[in-house]
Amino acid sequence: MDTLLFGLLNGLIYGLLLFMVSAGLTLIFGMMGVLNFAHASFYMLGAYFAYTLQGLLGFGPAVVAATLLAGGVGALVERFFLRRVHHHGHAHELLLTFGLSFIVAETIKLLFGNFPVDYHVPASLDGPAFTLGSQQYPTYRLLMGAVALAMFGLLYLLLTRTRVGIIVRSAIYKPRMVEALGHNVQLVFMGVFGVGAALAGLAGAIAGAFYTTSPNMALEVGVMVFVVVVVGGLGSLGGAMLASLLIGVITSLAVSVDRSLADALTLVGAGAWAESVGGLLTLKLSSLAATLPFALMLLVLLVRPQGLLGDKT
Amino acid sequence: MNSLRLAALPAALLISTAAQAAPVKIGLLETLSGPQASTGQTFRAGVRYAVDKINAAGGWNGEPVQLVEYDNQGGPAGASDKLKAAIADGVQLVVQGASSAIAGQITEDVRKHNLRNPGKEIVFINVGAEALELTGEKCNFHHFRITGNAQVRTKALVQGMKQAKALGSKVYAINQNYSWGQDMEKAIVDNAAAGGYQVVEKRLHDVNKIQDFAPYVAKIVASGADTVMTGNWSNDLLLMMKAAKAAGLKADFGTVFLDQPGNISNAGETAIGHFIAHVFNGEAGGAEGAKFVSDYAAKTGRAPVFVEAQAVFALDMVADALKRTKATAGALDVNAFARAMETAKIKTPMGEMSMRAADHQVLLPLVVSTVTKDAKYKVDGTDMGFKPVKVFSAEESAMPVQSSCKMQRPS
Amino acid sequence: MRTSTSLLLGGVALLAALPALLTAGLLNAAVQMLIAALFASAYGQLAGRAGMLSFGHAAYFGVGAFATVHAMDALNGAGLLPTPLMPLVGAAAGLGFGVVAGWFATQRSGTAFAMITLAIAELLHALAPQLKSLFGGESGISVMRTPAWGFNFGSTTQVYYLTLVWVLLSLALLYFHTRTSAGRLTLGLRENSHRLRFLGYDVHRLGVSAFAISGLFSGVAGALQVLANESANYVVFEAHVSASVVLNSYIGGVGVFLGPALGAALMSFFGYAVSDATQAWLLYQGVLFVLVMMFMPEGLVGLGGAAARRVKQLGASRAPPLLLLWLLAVLLLAAGAVFLVELLQRLCSQDYRALARAAAGWPPVTMFGQSWAAVGLATWIWPLGLLAGGGSLLAFAQRRLQMKEAQA
Repeated sequence: MDTLLFGLLNGLIYGLLLFMVSAGLTLIFGMMGVLNFAHASFYMLGAYFAYTLQGLLGFGPAVVAATLLAGGVGALVERFFLRRVHHHGHAHELLLTFGLSFIVAETIKLLFGNFPVDYHVPASLDGPAFTLGSQQYPTYRLLMGAVALAMFGLLYLLLTRTRVGIIVRSAIYKPRMVEALGHNVQLVFMGVFGVGAALAGLAGAIAGAFYTTSPNMALEVGVMVFVVVVVGGLGSLGGAMLASLLIGVITSLAVSVDRSLADALTLVGAGAWAESVGGLLTLKLSSLAATLPFALMLLVLLVRPQGLLGDKT
Repeated sequence: MNSLRLAALPAALLISTAAQAAPVKIGLLETLSGPQASTGQTFRAGVRYAVDKINAAGGWNGEPVQLVEYDNQGGPAGASDKLKAAIADGVQLVVQGASSAIAGQITEDVRKHNLRNPGKEIVFINVGAEALELTGEKCNFHHFRITGNAQVRTKALVQGMKQAKALGSKVYAINQNYSWGQDMEKAIVDNAAAGGYQVVEKRLHDVNKIQDFAPYVAKIVASGADTVMTGNWSNDLLLMMKAAKAAGLKADFGTVFLDQPGNISNAGETAIGHFIAHVFNGEAGGAEGAKFVSDYAAKTGRAPVFVEAQAVFALDMVADALKRTKATAGALDVNAFARAMETAKIKTPMGEMSMRAADHQVLLPLVVSTVTKDAKYKVDGTDMGFKPVKVFSAEESAMPVQSSCKMQRPS
Repeated sequence: MRTSTSLLLGGVALLAALPALLTAGLLNAAVQMLIAALFASAYGQLAGRAGMLSFGHAAYFGVGAFATVHAMDALNGAGLLPTPLMPLVGAAAGLGFGVVAGWFATQRSGTAFAMITLAIAELLHALAPQLKSLFGGESGISVMRTPAWGFNFGSTTQVYYLTLVWVLLSLALLYFHTRTSAGRLTLGLRENSHRLRFLGYDVHRLGVSAFAISGLFSGVAGALQVLANESANYVVFEAHVSASVVLNSYIGGVGVFLGPALGAALMSFFGYAVSDATQAWLLYQGVLFVLVMMFMPEGLVGLGGAAARRVKQLGASRAPPLLLLWLLAVLLLAAGAVFLVELLQRLCSQDYRALARAAAGWPPVTMFGQSWAAVGLATWIWPLGLLAGGGSLLAFAQRRLQMKEAQA
């Protein structure tokens, strides 16, 4: 029972972390159709900014400053790079962001070196929150979850209850019409991109202290974030939350399941045959934990391509 | 620097063919860019230092040894391409260590090249790839492994931890799901009787794909293990240690790659009390160890870290073999060099290292150390370092030749 | 004879003569360039002509590679399929997998299609290390080329000619396909698939056939790589292989048939040449991608067209000096940027920092074969000067161009 509870809690918190990073991406994706490969780079930039400023400003202010800086970089990227290639088509935008992700990763390697840097949780936040059975649950993980939930709440309120939010949502569906109504859609795009990047930067600043901060951070999170966005539905904040929680819980709980398809087939008496065939049938679910999100993505794409909570266009 | 060396090659070739004295070219075929570049660059630092030492002592046959560096771009396909480029440049000794996958590719390519080009053979000096198959099914007369492997490291680790009374009775084995991790898992299980422990659970996980080790730590806690043994490296080790600390897991870790730069500074005080079986610890080498460290620091500005010392020792063995190989028509006869390498023996600050001719696995001393605050040499700019617990001589740490090695020797 | 045909024949003749002109190392690089060119052409068929952006094309390359490696292993010396005909296995595997994957993927279009192809490739990449009997674990499967038809395929030259023959044959078949009615219909897929459906064509089947043909030739490319490297490793399914074929195609330019091949050859050579010269080569590659995407959206083949347009616009006497000026400005900027990046790379590296701490100062750095002081105008004037010079020259050239355009 303890393991199940811990598994669920771990999965939920990890899912919330994924949500923090993918919230911005799904908005950007939904609004501009830009498959932003550089999104995970903002995650990495947030961590490195926070690491650099931690000595000067202290942990909390450094996290805030890192968020703002990452957002600033995002806005600049949109204004000076993406806007130029927007009319050439999706492929060009995507390749541009891919090149940018290279540049960010390599520049960080140039300036900070290849090894992980010493960005850690401050001692005041570094303790257990509660103990369940024989295992402790660290405070910082709960803090990460809390920040993610707060982010979700704020974004949701912003999008549904404020004027800016209405304009942003309409720009996702009908940008030309919104432009015709006199709104500066270019500014809206830049704002959304900047806010998306800032959210990813916040996620990086917070998670980088708990996990590792190294130049490979972007690669580690990058593909999973795409899976979340696709499974949840492009442009849907609720979908991103649902998908990230789902993926977090699945990967966390799968680690505890040491069964394979062959074991399932034993129930219908084909166990011995499955064992003899080997290969895919005898792979344990626990060793496939990192593969399951892709299988889920493929399934969703084939059965419901607009995602779990996306809208059919 | 590279462009100078590469530009000097055609000039050197011209001059050398005219003068009938071809200098030995050592090709470093490492991962110098991409995600795993950190390890490759560390090997390069050690190899550069060692080659400079060889040349300061006079080089070979009156000529300085030339080091040419190739970036294998992080993958076996790139390694294959650069190996062909190295062969075309006249390289006779290929050095690599950062990845067992790439080493597997190189050793096979070297074998095929030597089959097709008798008289123009090349030799692969493996300074860091520890997968067992390289001295097992894939053992090859022209491959020399001058580093440990899963079996010797685990044996030393178990004995060392037992001596320090840190080895419990319930061990959890968690490793990466590829050849190295699988070798480690088997070695941990095989040493259970000698170590007096029971392996409560074995787990293999995806390599470098997992961010969140909390579920794995939950399983460790649930199993009631009091010791964790792992061959994990890089992020997989660091994230696991951090997750273990976050969950309040009170188990000692027995590792092989804890001394990777960044691990101690990132893990912080969590690392204290964990163990590692590695090739070099300056503190354990007495006066000679201190001299080695100070000589290295004089040249590079810092003490040797991680794999740098073992790269230097490996090239020292190469130097020993080169010294005993006479030039044939002004050039190096690779088969003669390989035969000299089979009987190479050097004295390092850790003890004597010698090559085993049966499978070309070096017999080397290993050190088991623990992380404490009162170590002589601090690492990563922290106040912690590795304090040696026990040094195992080459005989003590050696494991028998694998039966799968059927080496074919040239006549 | 038309210019284009004679150019083509000249190109083929040059390629055939390369073994006599190049060193062994460069010849091997040429083999890899040919393989990359074929892979990119196969991709360009799908992305450029059919308008279907696939993000997981490494899957078909890899499937072709592994099928070939298993065939070489199984039929080793048995004479059932001689070495030069091995790529047929890769073709069949690529075709088969392409049909299956394409059938699912082409049911959706646009982003969903791209994501499906990505998911397929990522699934394969994640499953491959687990299925050791099929994919050989992380050291892959290793084979040797067996002699056939009087050749022993031991030297790079023979491998080069084998690769060249297959690449030329595949490119010719691909080009022939574009001239058939089926090939022209794939253009319709890109332009307006709704209309195509109204005209009575089965759009899904067309999509699958375009996907399958692309998969077939990707499989051939994979097989050729196995023949060249004599091994296959599951890292061939990695995301960056899929990404690099997309990049190569668009850098070359997907509008022209040989565009992707040109882009792939150039980027492959760039990687080969620059990766040994500098540690920051991935940074330069990223900058190159971004610059091409921003300033040369038609790809490198578009450069020739743009230059020709300028000449026509401004006259043959006034355009060349302007173009040369522009070229010089770009070269100066590039030189300045490279200098700056290399200097920063040396100053920020761990080794240098350790040396600086030990010496309590700023020791000199070695760059381009010379020693440079770390601080001081003598060193820093170079990048600043080059960048400033290049920048002002570029601004000047742009202004002259605008003036000339206003006059013309």
